[in-house]
Amino acid sequence: MFRFQSLDEDCTLEEEDEGLVEEEDEIDQFNDDTFGAGAIDDDWQEEHKRLAELDERDGLGGVLGMGGGGMGGELDLGGAGDSSSTHLPSSAAHHPLPSSLPSLKFSSSSSGLPPPDVEDRGGGGDLAESLARLILEADPAIAGVGAAERPGPSPSSSGSSLSALQGLDRPRVLPQPSSIPHPAQSHQHPHHPQHQLPPGPSTSGLPPGPPPSSMLSYQQQQHLLRRGTAPMGQMNSHSIWENSMGFGPVSLTPGLVTHMEDSPLMSIIKEVGLPKRPPQGRNDEGQDLSERVPPPRSSSPVIGSPPVRAVPIGTPPKQPMSHAMNHQIHHPMAVHVRAPVQHRYPPPFPERLSPNTLLNIANSPLCRGPFPPGVLSQMQRAQLLNSQVAGFPRGGPAPPLLPGGGGFRPFFGGPPPPHGHRMGPPPPHGPPNHTPPIRHNTTHLHPQHRRMLTQRMQNRGGDRGRTGGDRRSRDPYSNLMTQKEKEWVTKIQMMQLQSTDPYLDDYYYQNYYEKMEKRQERERDSSKKEHTTKLITPQVAKVEHTYRPVQFAGSLGKLTVSSVNNPRKMIDAVVTSRTDDEEKREKQVWNKRRQILYTVEKMYSLLLEVQDFEKRFVQTPEEDREALLEQHKTNTVQLCNSLREKEWDDRVSDEQCVMIMSVRKGKRLISRLLPLLPSPQAAAVVMAIARNLPALAKKDKQDQVLCWLVEPVSAVIQSLSSSALTDLLQELQGNEGQLATVLHNKFGVTLLYLILSEGERMQSSDPNCQLMDDNRWTELVFSVTRELLSVPSSSLSPPLFTPPNLLSLLSRYVDRQRLELLQDKLQISALSR
Amino acid sequence: MNYVPGTASLIDDIDKKHLVLLRDGRTLIGYLRSIDQFANLVFHQTVERIHVGKKFGDIPRGIFIVRGENVVLLGEIDVDKPCDTLLQQVSIEEILEEQRLQQQAKQETEKVKMQVLKDRGLSIPKADNLDEY
Repeated sequence: MFRFQSLDEDCTLEEEDEGLVEEEDEIDQFNDDTFGAGAIDDDWQEEHKRLAELDERDGLGGVLGMGGGGMGGELDLGGAGDSSSTHLPSSAAHHPLPSSLPSLKFSSSSSGLPPPDVEDRGGGGDLAESLARLILEADPAIAGVGAAERPGPSPSSSGSSLSALQGLDRPRVLPQPSSIPHPAQSHQHPHHPQHQLPPGPSTSGLPPGPPPSSMLSYQQQQHLLRRGTAPMGQMNSHSIWENSMGFGPVSLTPGLVTHMEDSPLMSIIKEVGLPKRPPQGRNDEGQDLSERVPPPRSSSPVIGSPPVRAVPIGTPPKQPMSHAMNHQIHHPMAVHVRAPVQHRYPPPFPERLSPNTLLNIANSPLCRGPFPPGVLSQMQRAQLLNSQVAGFPRGGPAPPLLPGGGGFRPFFGGPPPPHGHRMGPPPPHGPPNHTPPIRHNTTHLHPQHRRMLTQRMQNRGGDRGRTGGDRRSRDPYSNLMTQKEKEWVTKIQMMQLQSTDPYLDDYYYQNYYEKMEKRQERERDSSKKEHTTKLITPQVAKVEHTYRPVQFAGSLGKLTVSSVNNPRKMIDAVVTSRTDDEEKREKQVWNKRRQILYTVEKMYSLLLEVQDFEKRFVQTPEEDREALLEQHKTNTVQLCNSLREKEWDDRVSDEQCVMIMSVRKGKRLISRLLPLLPSPQAAAVVMAIARNLPALAKKDKQDQVLCWLVEPVSAVIQSLSSSALTDLLQELQGNEGQLATVLHNKFGVTLLYLILSEGERMQSSDPNCQLMDDNRWTELVFSVTRELLSVPSSSLSPPLFTPPNLLSLLSRYVDRQRLELLQDKLQISALSR
Repeated sequence: MNYVPGTASLIDDIDKKHLVLLRDGRTLIGYLRSIDQFANLVFHQTVERIHVGKKFGDIPRGIFIVRGENVVLLGEIDVDKPCDTLLQQVSIEEILEEQRLQQQAKQETEKVKMQVLKDRGLSIPKADNLDEY
């Protein structure tokens, strides 16, 4: 439990590596780092001496810790290195300084705002001065901040704090023990006990001993003793793991402990340092568990895979601290920051000061739940937030909270998220009259869509806003889901909308708006024509992330590293086919079918590309059009070729066609394909259909999808020459009995009628038509009529439609009697369609 | 429409009173406090409402976390509008009793039906019990 100083300096491993640190964390999360990020590898004795020296300086009333402690956040006071010796329990930190302690001393006024200027609490000028000096000496980096940091006394809080201070004999500045990681600073220097010690005890760097009771209320004492190194700041911020990652233990100000002189516990603590996070302590206090981030997975090390986020994507955001805030408020108590931890665990979201941290300081004058003061549960935080939010517009009692310097601003404002396409800083929910209009990023939407949306919002916003806002402000549990979290969820949802090919992913949306645009253009005057804006969808560059597994030369096989981002094949399976005769035959049938299906699929994709060509052509910029055109041509050619029988034979293969048409999808394919084919080929296809109609009809009995072919086929027929037409009719009739079968089938009948009607059209329209040149046509028609007459009515299938000129055709060829018979049979009348 | 314009999002529903129907047939009413990308829902001050006939009973349940895939539908409740005019609220024990009776009756009819079918030599295979509601 206590962290032992490494007795042997040499044996501590200063593992700064990312990879190693990750692993190390899994080893022992709950203990202090015996080596690694949090380890102390310096000579504690030296450290101690140094601290003792610092101690001598005039006490800086640092109300140093004040803001810092409360803020929690990530100020890392630990870190490897020297300050470690004072892994002083936050107990020390939670020291009498009313300002630093969130709750108690705060009495009424500050409900949670960290007084940014810690120094003032201490009572003024000279505290500030000494503090400043200390800081400046401690770390130049901080100096800058520190200097910036000392604004004038904050009006709101100073009153109370000062009064509180009156009670103390010696204003003490308890440097802030916050154990929050302070990434930017590599302090080698612990903060100091800036307190005006009574000359006497505690010249040591870590004056132990419980504060005199006059100084500390009972509660505070409890705090100190109980919480050990976990200062408030830690509560709301990070998980154990995070801390052990590299944020050192809190280097508590020795000064804090000044008052705890007598307790033996304290003395031990002083010497040895408290464990960074006594695990039991954490749970007992009803800590805000929502802040926890699950431990980093054993993700693949950097070597084997593309960079992996340490925090899996599903994790909700923790509440990070902004560094600036840390500086200002927490006042860097010589934080020991080892390495900029940010590098290792880049937070997925922009850092900002979480309201949590702020509120924690001011914690519980408001809500003293079951939790010990200093710990704000999510709920309390939300409540606090609410009260502030609610209070804001009313300008009521809340003000002390707000003006606390930069503290709250980050929360309300929120630094704009780094992602370009996301929204601007959304203000918190609140009574509508005070919230600035939420700016949404609608650039990815179609402008028309955008307009509709804004209209809708305006309509809705007025009536709903008032009541909703009111109610929400009164609800103590609202805003449990912080702005950050909402943004995070939204971000994930937006990410899903990004697309590299909007036409593929969001076809209907794109088409709908295109149609709407066209419609509007038609309706609108050309005079007041708005410029048609191009639709912009967030497009992500298509980057190929191919992972090639790492392989070392001379080794057998590849590294066995796989993760979510680069799943690795575990087994190289080889397919061996079994040769079994029976199976073979069966398989052959299946294989054939599969082959057909496969062909159909391939052709379909080509077909779709060809059909979509036009649309894409319009959308692509000028430069790419050439390429697209080329591709289109290739596609078309390929499509035509796929119907060929053999590579060198240009004719359309009957067999191929039939094969394709034996599948339902194939028929559909052909029907879509016909209009695209060049006419000789199209004609050939139609011939093939006619020739094989009985077979096709048989296969089609169940599906009845042949009728889809009517339209394209009729288009083809109309383009046929007379001889071709005759041929077609001949094909249709084929050998004996074929016509009968044809007549049984709806499609067949329709096709027949189409042919006849076309012939008739040709004859009647064009006197030079060659249809009558040889007798074939006539003979064919005769045989058709014969067949029609002989076929029983019941088996004659009704066609899809009856061409009007059939009657005139038939009247040419048959005598009156037969004509009438036919009329009856086929239910053709002069008026029928 | 607040955060993700042009799409539907649950973000705007947060902190409002909702009624959710789950796949197992339960009806929960509560304040929606938090969501995530899978539409997992966190309900606060949840009440499970059991309806039997014209009566209903509310069982307070506290905080519920519902996994997104189990939600059938979710809708906001207007707190101002009076909703229970047609229905009569009864105590928990009573409604549970009613429910038990209803289930019993259903089972009885089911049994009779199966018996009748069996006598005729037919059998209807039992449907998959998921989403039996």
